[in-house]
Amino acid sequence: MSSTPRKRLAPEALIAAVVVILLAVLVPLVVYSGAGSSLFPPTAVTTQARDTRGLYDIVFGIAVAIFVAVEGLIIWSVIRYRRKAGDDELPPQTHGNTLIEIVWTLIPTVIVLYLFAISWNTLNTVDAVSSNPEIRVHAVAQQFAWKFEYLDANGKVVATQSEPSAAKGGGMAVPVGKSVLVTLDSPDVIHAFYVPKFLFKRDVVPGQTNRFQFTVDAGEATDGHPNIFGGQCAELCGTGHRTMLFNVIAMSPTDYDAWLKALIIQNNATPPPPPSGAPETTVTAQNTAFDKSSIDVPAGHPFVIDFKNMDIQPHDIDIRQSDKTTLIQDQPITDAGKESHYTYNPLQPGTYVFICSIHPTLMSGTLTVH
Amino acid sequence: MATHALAPATTAYRPGLYEWLTTTDHKKIGIMYVINSFLFFLIGGFFALGVRAELAAPGLQIFTNEHVYNEFFSIHATVMIFLFIIPMLAGLGNYAVPLMIGAPDMAFPRVNALSFWMLPLAGMLLLAGFLTQGGAAAAGWTSYPPLSEVGPTKSPGPGQDLWIVALTLIGTSSILGGINFLVTIFKMRAPGMTLFRMPIMVWTMLVTSVLVVMATPVLTSALVMLFIDRNYGGHFFDPTHGGIVVLYQNLFWFYSHPAVYVMVLPAMGVISEVLPVFSRKPLFGYKAFIFATAGIGALGFSVWAHHMFTTGSVFLPFFSLMTFLIAVPTGVKMFNWVATIFRGKLSFSTPFIFAIGFLTMFLIGGINGAFSAAVPVDFALHDTYFVVAHLHYVLFGGSVFGVFAGIYYWFPKMSGRMLDETLGKVHFVLMFVGFNLTFFPMHMLGLQGMPRRIADYASNAGWNDWNLLASIGGFIIGTSILPFIWNVFVSLRNGKIAGDDPWEGNTLEWATSSPPPPYNFDRLPEIRSERPVFDARHGRLTPHDEMGPA
Amino acid sequence: MTADARALTADPSAPLVLQEGHLARGISSPILGMLLFLTSEVMFFAGLFAAYFSTRAADQPWPPKQFDSILNPLSLILVATVILISSSFTCQFAVWSIRRGDRTGFIRNISVTFVLGIVFLLLQAYDYTLLFGEGMTLGSGPFGTTYFTLTGFHGAHVFGGVLMLGVILYRGMAGQFSSRHHDAVEAVSLYWHFVDIVWIVLFSVLYLL
Repeated sequence: MSSTPRKRLAPEALIAAVVVILLAVLVPLVVYSGAGSSLFPPTAVTTQARDTRGLYDIVFGIAVAIFVAVEGLIIWSVIRYRRKAGDDELPPQTHGNTLIEIVWTLIPTVIVLYLFAISWNTLNTVDAVSSNPEIRVHAVAQQFAWKFEYLDANGKVVATQSEPSAAKGGGMAVPVGKSVLVTLDSPDVIHAFYVPKFLFKRDVVPGQTNRFQFTVDAGEATDGHPNIFGGQCAELCGTGHRTMLFNVIAMSPTDYDAWLKALIIQNNATPPPPPSGAPETTVTAQNTAFDKSSIDVPAGHPFVIDFKNMDIQPHDIDIRQSDKTTLIQDQPITDAGKESHYTYNPLQPGTYVFICSIHPTLMSGTLTVH
Repeated sequence: MATHALAPATTAYRPGLYEWLTTTDHKKIGIMYVINSFLFFLIGGFFALGVRAELAAPGLQIFTNEHVYNEFFSIHATVMIFLFIIPMLAGLGNYAVPLMIGAPDMAFPRVNALSFWMLPLAGMLLLAGFLTQGGAAAAGWTSYPPLSEVGPTKSPGPGQDLWIVALTLIGTSSILGGINFLVTIFKMRAPGMTLFRMPIMVWTMLVTSVLVVMATPVLTSALVMLFIDRNYGGHFFDPTHGGIVVLYQNLFWFYSHPAVYVMVLPAMGVISEVLPVFSRKPLFGYKAFIFATAGIGALGFSVWAHHMFTTGSVFLPFFSLMTFLIAVPTGVKMFNWVATIFRGKLSFSTPFIFAIGFLTMFLIGGINGAFSAAVPVDFALHDTYFVVAHLHYVLFGGSVFGVFAGIYYWFPKMSGRMLDETLGKVHFVLMFVGFNLTFFPMHMLGLQGMPRRIADYASNAGWNDWNLLASIGGFIIGTSILPFIWNVFVSLRNGKIAGDDPWEGNTLEWATSSPPPPYNFDRLPEIRSERPVFDARHGRLTPHDEMGPA
Repeated sequence: MTADARALTADPSAPLVLQEGHLARGISSPILGMLLFLTSEVMFFAGLFAAYFSTRAADQPWPPKQFDSILNPLSLILVATVILISSSFTCQFAVWSIRRGDRTGFIRNISVTFVLGIVFLLLQAYDYTLLFGEGMTLGSGPFGTTYFTLTGFHGAHVFGGVLMLGVILYRGMAGQFSSRHHDAVEAVSLYWHFVDIVWIVLFSVLYLL
C-alpha cells in the first residue's frame, strides 16, 4: 500500500497513458496502411501462396497485438514509475502472484497451440503433392545455373531448357490453372528453388530428390500475355550464388503448348553449319576449368570454338574485353556432358578474354586476335 | 552475522603482465574473457561493416572477388557467435558466479585459465585463413557440405580446415568451462545458499552449462566428420559415395539450436539482476522464472530441425509444435520482467537503460521468430533477410544489450570505479538507434524476397532504399562503440570511486570491496533469501514483506 | 580447519564447508567434474553413432559385398574385447584396494590394468593393419569411414586412459594415495569403465548387429 492516498492522477501516469495510447493507435494504423505494405509478402500468384498469405496475415495480426500490448506495458512502466529524486522509500516488494502467473502461462499456451493448429492445417495444403499432376518439370540446380527438363506422364524427358533467364529467351514456362509438379536435383552442392511471389522455397539437396507442387492462378496470364516471375537460388552455393537467378513464366495453356512444341523443335534442331573456312579450336571443360589458357584467331574473320563440356556443371564461352567484364559476344549455355559449336563474329585485332559467364573467376583465358 | 575474518591477504601478486598471463583467479580470468571477447566483437563488427558497405547500393563496389565477400560474412558470424557472445557471457559468468554464491573461486581454477587461453589461440587460427591461398572459410558460419567439402567450386583451401580446428578448440574450451560452472555451483555455495536462493544469474549459468556440456560435443562430432571427409577420404556427407548431406545439418543444429540459448540465457540472467536492483523490487516470480529457464533448456533440445524446414527431410509438425511451445516459457520470463519494473521505483542508470533496451528489442525478436515457426510462412522466409532480422533482434537486441547492461553493472565491482553515466547514455542512444535502423528494414527486405548471403542484388528489385538504410544504421552502430571505449579508458583513470555497493545491489558480490580481495570475501552476510545483501541492508530476518499474495 | 569453518557461520545447521570443495557430505568436486566430462564424451560418441546408424540405414547392403564378412566377431577382436573387459575388473579391484588403504594391492591392480590397456591398443593396431590389407580404410567408402572413425576415436580415448592410468600408477608408487585421499583414482576408474562400456556398445553394434 502506498503511504498517502492519491487524490488525482499523477502527471507521469497521464504522460505514460498518452504515449501508450499513441503507440496502440499509430502502430496498427501505419502497419495496415499503404506505408506498411512492405511488411507483407508480395501478392500471391499461386493457390498455395494464397493459403500461406492467409496464414501470414493471422500470425501478423496476433504479432502486432502482442507487440503493442507488451511494449505498451514496458513504456507505461518506464514512464509512470520513474523514481523521484530523494525518494528512498521502497516500493511494494511484490514477489509474485500465483493466479496472474498461471493466467499468463495459460493464455500464451492457448495462443501458440492455435497458431500451431492453423499452420499445420495450411502446411497440409501447401505441401500437398498429388500423384497425377498435369505438368511435370525436373529442375536441376548446378553451380551456378538452373536447368529445366520437361517430363511426360512417365517421367521421360521431352524437352530441356538450359537457359534460366527469360530475358535471354529461357526460363521455366508453366501453364496457369494447372497443377505443376517440380522435382529438384543437384549434382554438386545444396541450392534452393525460391520464387518470392510463390511465397515458397524448397532446398535442392544432392542425393535426395525433393518435390513440391503449385498451381498458378488462372488469372495470372492470358493468351499472348504471359507473366514473368523472378526466382533466385536461396541457399549459399559458392561464389556464383548471387547470380543463380531464374524466371518462371506463367502462360495461358494454349501459349504453353505452343511454347513447349517450339522448345522441342529447338532441342532437336541441327545447329547451323559454321561458315566455311572458319578456323576451329577445340576447348574442353572439366573440373571447373578450361583445358586451354590461350586461343589465337585471325582478325576480321568469323571463328568457331568446338566446346566439349565434360564437366558436371553447365558452362559457356563468352567473349569479353580484357577487363573480363565488358561483354562482346554472348553464347548460350552448354549443359554438362554436351557439346556445342560456338560461332563468333569477326573481331578487330587485339587482346580479349574468353570466359565462362557462370564461373568467371575460375574459367577464363586470353583470346589473341592478330 | 558471521564476523570471523579469513586469513589476511598476504599473497603478493606477481608483477604486472606475468600475473595476468599466469593467473587462475576467476576475477582476472573473467576480465580477460570480457576484454578478449570485446576485441573479437570489434573484429566481427569490421567484417559486418564490410558486408554492409558492399550492400549499401546495387552493384559490386568493393568485393569484385565474391569469394572474399563470402569469407567476410562467414567469418563475421563465426567470430560473433564463437569468439564474442558465447565467451563474453562465459566471462561475465566467470566473474560473477563465484562471488554471487559466496565462493572463493571456481571449482577448477587452472582448467578455468586453460579454457580462457584456448580462445585467443583459436581466434588467431580462424583468422589465419585469410592469409592462406584459398582464403578463410567461405561456406557460411554453418559450413554445410557439400559446399564445405573439397572441390574446385567448393571449399578447397585450408581456410575451411582452420575453421574446423578453431571451432573444435573453442568447443573444448566451452565444455571445460561448463563443467567448471556446474561443479562450482553444485559444490561451492556458501552456507545458507540453497539452490532456490541462488541469484538468477547463477541459475541461468547453470542451465547454460548443462546445454554446453550436452550439446557442444555433438558439434564436435560433426566437425570431426567434416574434417575426415576433407582430409582423409571420408564420405560422411558425400552422396556420390553413400554419404548423407542432411546428416551434417541434423548434427550441426542439434548443437547450434541449444547454442542460441547458451547465447541468450546468461544475458537474461544479467537482466534479471539489473531490473530488480534498479526497480528496488524483487524479481517477480523468481521460482517460475527458474522453471521457465529449465523448460527452455530442455525444450531447446527438441527444436533443432526448425532450421531445416525447407530441406524436405524433416518431420515438420513435431518441430513446429515444439518451436511454438518454447515461446511459452520465454513469454513467461518476459512478463516476469515487466511485472518487476511495474509499480517499482525506477532509476535510469546505464545498466538499467540497456536492460530496457533488451526487453523492448528481444520482444521483437521473439515475435518475428513466431513467423518462422509457422512452417508454410517459413517456406517463404527461410534464408532471406527476414531471418537475418530475427537473429539480430534476439542476439544483438537481446544478448548484446544484455552484455552491455552487465558490463556497466559490474564494471564498478571489477575496477573500483564508476563508468560515466552521460557517455553511457550516449552509447545507448547511438547503439539503439543504429541497431533498429540496421535491422528493422531487413524484415521488409526478407518479405520482399531478398535472399541471404548474396554479394549484390538487382537494382530493379526494389531493395535499394532498405539496404541503404541498413548500411547507414550499421555504421552508426560502429560509431556507438567509441563513447564506450572512451568511457572505459577515462573511468579507469578518473572515474568516481565506486565503493562496495554503488547500486544498492541485492546479491553477494556487493558485500565485498570493489575490486574484491583475491579470496573474495572477508565475511559473508546471513543468507536467508535470494537477496542477502538487500536483506542485510534493510535489517530483514524474514525476506518476505510483499504486499500481495506470494 | 573444521573448527574454523564452523565458526564462519552463525547457523550450526548450515553445511560444513571444508577445503577444496569436499563437503562433509556429497560427491567430491573432481569426481563430479569427471562425471560431467564423461557426459560430454557420451554425447560426442552419440553424434558418431547417429552418423553410423543413419549411414547404415541409407546404404544397403551393409556390409557392402566386398567387405561382407570382414568384421568377424570371433577373431582377434574378441580377444581384445575380453582383455579390455578384464582390465575394467582389475581397475575396480584397484579402487577397492585403495579404499581399504591397501597400497600394494592398488599398485598391483593398476599395473595390470595399465598393461592390459596397452595390450588392447596393440591388438587394435594390429587388427587395423589386417583390415588395411584387405582394402578397408577410412577412404574406402562409408563402411570403412564409419568403422575407423568410431573405433579410432575410441582407441584415442583408450590411449588417453592409459596415460591417466600411468599417472595414477606413478602417484601411487610415490605414496600419494590413501584410503581417505584418492579422488584421482576414483575419477580415472570412472573414465576407464566408461571407455570399456563404449567398447562393448561399439563391438556389439559394429560386429554383432
